[in-house]
Amino acid sequence: MSQRIVVDPITRIEGHLRVEIEVKDGKIVDAYSSGTMVRGMELILKGRDPRDAWAFTERVCGVCTTVHALASVRSVENALGIVVPPNADLVRNLMFCSQMMQDHVVHFYHLHALDWVDVVSCLSADPAQTSALAQSISNWPKSSVGYFKDVQKRIKKFVDSGQLGIFANGYWGHKAYKLPAEANLMAVAHYLEALEWQKEIVKVHTIFGGKNPHPNYLVGGVPLSVNLNESNALNAERLAYVKQLLDDAKTFIDQVYIPDLMAIASFYKDWGAIGGGLENYLSYGDLPTNGYNDVSSFKFPRGIIMGRDISKIHEVDGTDPDQIKEFIAHSYYDYDSGDKSGKHPWDGQTKLNYSGPKPPYDQLNVDGKYSWLKTPRWKGHAMEVGPLSRMLVGYASGREDYKEVVESALSQLNVPVGALFSTLGRTAARGLETKLVANWAQEFFDSLISNIKNGDSRMHSEYMWDPKDWPAEAKGVGMTEAPRGALAHWSVIKDKKLDNYQLVVPSTWNASPRDERGQRSAYEASLIGTPVADPESPLELLRTIHSFDPCIACAVH
Amino acid sequence: MNRYARIEKSLMHPKYVWELPVRFYHWINALVVVILGVTGYIIGNPPGITTATEASFGYWFGTVRFIHFVAAYVFFFNFVFRLYWGFVGNKFAKWKNFIPYTKAHWVDMWEVIKVDIFQVKCDKNPNLGHNALASFTYFLTFIVFILQTVTGFGIYAAMSPSWFPQLFAWIPSVFGGDIATRQLHHILMWFFALFAIVHVYLVFYHDYIEKNGVTSSMIGGWKFQDKDKVEREKD
Amino acid sequence: MGKRRKTYLEAAMDKGYSRRDFMKLGAMMTAFMGLESSMVAKVTKAMEKAPRIPIIWLHGQECTCCSESFIRSSHPLVADILLDLVSLDYTETLMAPSGYQAEKSLHDTMKNYHGNYLLTVEGSIPTKEQGVYCCIGGKTFENIVQEAADGAKAVIAWGSCASNGCVQSANPNPTGATPIHEIIKGKPIINVPGCPPIAEVMAGVVVHLLTFDRIPELDRLRRPKAFYSRRVHDTCYRRPNFDAGLFVESFDDENAKKGYCLYKMGCKGPVTYNACGVIKWNNGVSFPIQSGHPCIGCSEENFWDNGGFYKRLPNFPGFGIESNADKVGLGLGIATGVGVAAHAVVTNIRKRKLIADGECEQKDVE
Ligand code: HEM
Ligand code: HEM
Ligand code: NFV
Ligand code: SF4
Ligand code: SF4
Ligand code: F3S
Ligand SMILES: [Mg+2]
Repeated sequence: MSQRIVVDPITRIEGHLRVEIEVKDGKIVDAYSSGTMVRGMELILKGRDPRDAWAFTERVCGVCTTVHALASVRSVENALGIVVPPNADLVRNLMFCSQMMQDHVVHFYHLHALDWVDVVSCLSADPAQTSALAQSISNWPKSSVGYFKDVQKRIKKFVDSGQLGIFANGYWGHKAYKLPAEANLMAVAHYLEALEWQKEIVKVHTIFGGKNPHPNYLVGGVPLSVNLNESNALNAERLAYVKQLLDDAKTFIDQVYIPDLMAIASFYKDWGAIGGGLENYLSYGDLPTNGYNDVSSFKFPRGIIMGRDISKIHEVDGTDPDQIKEFIAHSYYDYDSGDKSGKHPWDGQTKLNYSGPKPPYDQLNVDGKYSWLKTPRWKGHAMEVGPLSRMLVGYASGREDYKEVVESALSQLNVPVGALFSTLGRTAARGLETKLVANWAQEFFDSLISNIKNGDSRMHSEYMWDPKDWPAEAKGVGMTEAPRGALAHWSVIKDKKLDNYQLVVPSTWNASPRDERGQRSAYEASLIGTPVADPESPLELLRTIHSFDPCIACAVH
Repeated sequence: MNRYARIEKSLMHPKYVWELPVRFYHWINALVVVILGVTGYIIGNPPGITTATEASFGYWFGTVRFIHFVAAYVFFFNFVFRLYWGFVGNKFAKWKNFIPYTKAHWVDMWEVIKVDIFQVKCDKNPNLGHNALASFTYFLTFIVFILQTVTGFGIYAAMSPSWFPQLFAWIPSVFGGDIATRQLHHILMWFFALFAIVHVYLVFYHDYIEKNGVTSSMIGGWKFQDKDKVEREKD
Repeated sequence: MGKRRKTYLEAAMDKGYSRRDFMKLGAMMTAFMGLESSMVAKVTKAMEKAPRIPIIWLHGQECTCCSESFIRSSHPLVADILLDLVSLDYTETLMAPSGYQAEKSLHDTMKNYHGNYLLTVEGSIPTKEQGVYCCIGGKTFENIVQEAADGAKAVIAWGSCASNGCVQSANPNPTGATPIHEIIKGKPIINVPGCPPIAEVMAGVVVHLLTFDRIPELDRLRRPKAFYSRRVHDTCYRRPNFDAGLFVESFDDENAKKGYCLYKMGCKGPVTYNACGVIKWNNGVSFPIQSGHPCIGCSEENFWDNGGFYKRLPNFPGFGIESNADKVGLGLGIATGVGVAAHAVVTNIRKRKLIADGECEQKDVE
């Protein structure tokens, strides 16, 4: 007999996720993933001014803030045939990169690390050895013995106070923790440093978008104008500020994040064989270097890998009514065309209809509907999206920069390519792409400077800003790569208003319930086979789930 | 023989309707409403002026707003005075004229609609003060006056530290925030514009049809009645 | 528990601060809160006595941007808040344990510090369909908030979601999203609106509570006056352009490049109460207007439903697309003018007829 274990709330994620698993002989044999909060954003968007949609959709999520705004303005621009000036693409790229760097670092240290790092064990570390360890893997200046001594002292006082705050009731002492105390101490120190660092890189958003979280976007370009002779606009001081932030970010990523990632991973190589799950990977691609309409210019290439076969990249087309569809067989929604049918987002429907157990409840009815997420499929296949998909598609397309970081990581850890298809692979891919993004951001910045130098200071296109120029009907799709994966918004504009607006979000792909044919999505699939040492302390489950960096507010919206 | 005696001799019957304070009230009101409407419209839709002036040398928009606020005070206290006069003034000025709480008032209103809109011939003697429909319209107008004042001072409370606007500081939360309150304030401007067009036309119209001197009555205070009709009514 | 909790002074000394450093910290906070220096002694005293206050931070219908904003705080630094100032016992975003262990953290604090913890809520409460639109651990969010509010010393409603419903309560509000103050009665509630609120404003509210051990002065919408008594417009550095009537006419035009006022682009600064113009965002780097975008009024109730973000008037329902009050008003004005003219013509015809019929002979007045 298997044992049913419910984990709700799943914490150190964004949003409201519940996972129910069946455990047998110390392994997960079945899993159900459920999103338990809904707001009905797609219903709220109906009838709105398409130019305002970015602000609504941006509020889908404050963790991956900006990505929905970007998908939204692109969707509307796509519908209306607007092409933004090159500088606007560059500024959007810079905001994209800053978002990804911030989100991934926060995920690694604040959402994921406690699955691998035992905070309490750091109290028994020898600061001198920690210092030696830190200096052996990086030349980050904050790694003296005294520094780690102070951190340890601070944590000790904190623990002695008896008020453990967010660390109370953690899985400390769990036998799945394998790091030596010294490595734990180093990680805890960097947990605190990363907390300070993350608030810096987002200042790139503040400069271009006025605030963070939720910076401002604009259909047709970006809101900030360039004027080198004006304190009110993007001038040399603002640009220098951006440059400094990008440089500091790159330093932190190269000297702290990546070394920590590699150090921790080297103690958990067994996780390179756990949590692989699905074998299909989807990336819409992003970071244009020659305008959003030139897909071949993307730094993150677009494509699909099927059955882990990286020798072939399949094409994905968001406008093809037969490719991407959403299903609701196990989701609390109704379709006019029935529960078995799938709908392309342009024809998508959002009709809330809860049919789960009446709260308070102990268990979901997993044979019926059990989640607020819809279930997206590509030509009927379940897809994994996210950093791993991006790295695989990039690697498979033979790009040098991808090859370099992936191969150096594999050789550093001394694991085969197959180890990528795992919980560890996902977590590693996130770090590796952060490194790439930090480099690319420098390139985008340089391009922006050279454009301005060459006299192109355009930031916004007035074309089609005025609704009176709009056609009676228009349809668009806006795609991007959010930190958690492939994101797209589909909009249908009628009589100058949104007639339909559908979001298919990375975490919707990954965290959705099974489809009408019983196929599992990524979370459910990857949990199968995950070991569970102590069913009362679901630490291993958290490792695999966290490797996706769940965002359920996104997934449901 | 003075002018009124001469008029007395004629077929029209003169009557002193509008006391001086009401007339003063009316013309002050008419003036500031026009000023408020024009400045308000500009505040809502400022023209684009793309001169090369530095901000510190210009203040025209601030001035427009200043005029609006000064006119707003005049408007408000003038109106308060009129409310007061509704209790102490002559019978034509009384507040009772305005609120249609009797059946007769509603019947009269129907009469006026027949005459004014459907252009049916009227046998009845026209009202001396306001006609029933007009007074009802004024009643609505007064309500809009109040709304415009409270929304105006409500949003003004955030701009002026003085005690008077502060009395209205609670208003925006009633209307669902400053944004909505200000939008209401803007929309109500159009009531004034439409009222002014119809009002001025009807005044001239009634004068023309009834020859009762209504136009000048707001200047001199006197109105005239058709003696025949007055006689007929007596029978 | 039994064990006396440490005061701020003790906590600070443990952390390696000397008493003198501690006085400096007090001075920093005092300056931050805009008090005269004579208050320093008092502030420092208050902090010496207060233990690390337990906080329960609940997440309802939200996007977690309020949590994200909170961790951007630069004064005090969020690490210092978490380790030295408060004891954040429950927040799904950052806490180590999940599932039963997470629920245990919640219940421990509710029980052990009954009457003494601070409840902070991020997100609104769905009330339609008995609350099935947000459940945690199988319980409705409404239920969880009610339970947690019971033993709370005070409640902070973070962000527009918790204080006015924010985006999910925008028309047609499919889930019946409701702000906290409409559900929780009989507890002091502080609303900290904004989507999200500025990090230092959030931290400032917490610091105020800790330092003075009392609720900051609130306005009639329960917002701390310190941060919400001024409109963005009142502290906006583009205000001189407004007064001078210098406006941006379209995005990225010559006027935009000169940083003119964004009023005509739909700026809601004149009707929005927030501290963006003074405190600014992310440690004073910029704020929406400084970065060229009009204020969308993100701290105001209903800001989603008051017409578009780039317009100053809402569309007028029932009058077709893109019709605002001005267009309708102008239309009605013209219609009225035409009606009046027609009416005048008809009147004249009728009058001529009456004259012709002899019913209305011209009487000589004089
Ligand atoms: C006949 C009466 C009035 C009319 C027609 C009128 C009209 C207007 C209009 C159209 C606006 C522009 C609204 C917008 O689009 O944002 C406005 C603004 C304003 N009005 Fe009035 N108004 C009147 C009376 C008053 C009164 C009695 C007050 C009391 C103080 C007042 C105070 C204001 C204020 C404070 C503003 C906003 C100015 C700013 O923010 O710059 N108004 N008015
Ligand atoms: C050429 C311009 C105007 C003329 C000739 C005029 C004339 C008159 C006359 C003759 C009356 C008395 C009507 C009756 O007996 O039913 C009256 C009343 C009134 N008018 Fe005008 N008017 C003018 C402009 C305005 C304007 C611009 C307003 C502004 C809103 C206004 C507001 C009123 C009000 C409120 C009353 C009711 C007076 C009371 O009893 O307090 N008038 N007007
Ligand atoms: N899933 C998701 Fe997001 C991301 N990354 C959005 O598109 O987190 Ni809130
Ligand atoms: S108030 Fe805005 S920022 Fe905060 S949770 Fe709600 S939607 Fe997100
Ligand atoms: S930009 Fe907005 S807030 Fe600033 S002065 Fe202009 S209208 Fe006011
Ligand atoms: S949009 Fe919000 S952030 Fe400030 S400037 Fe306006 S209140
Ligand atoms: Mg969707």
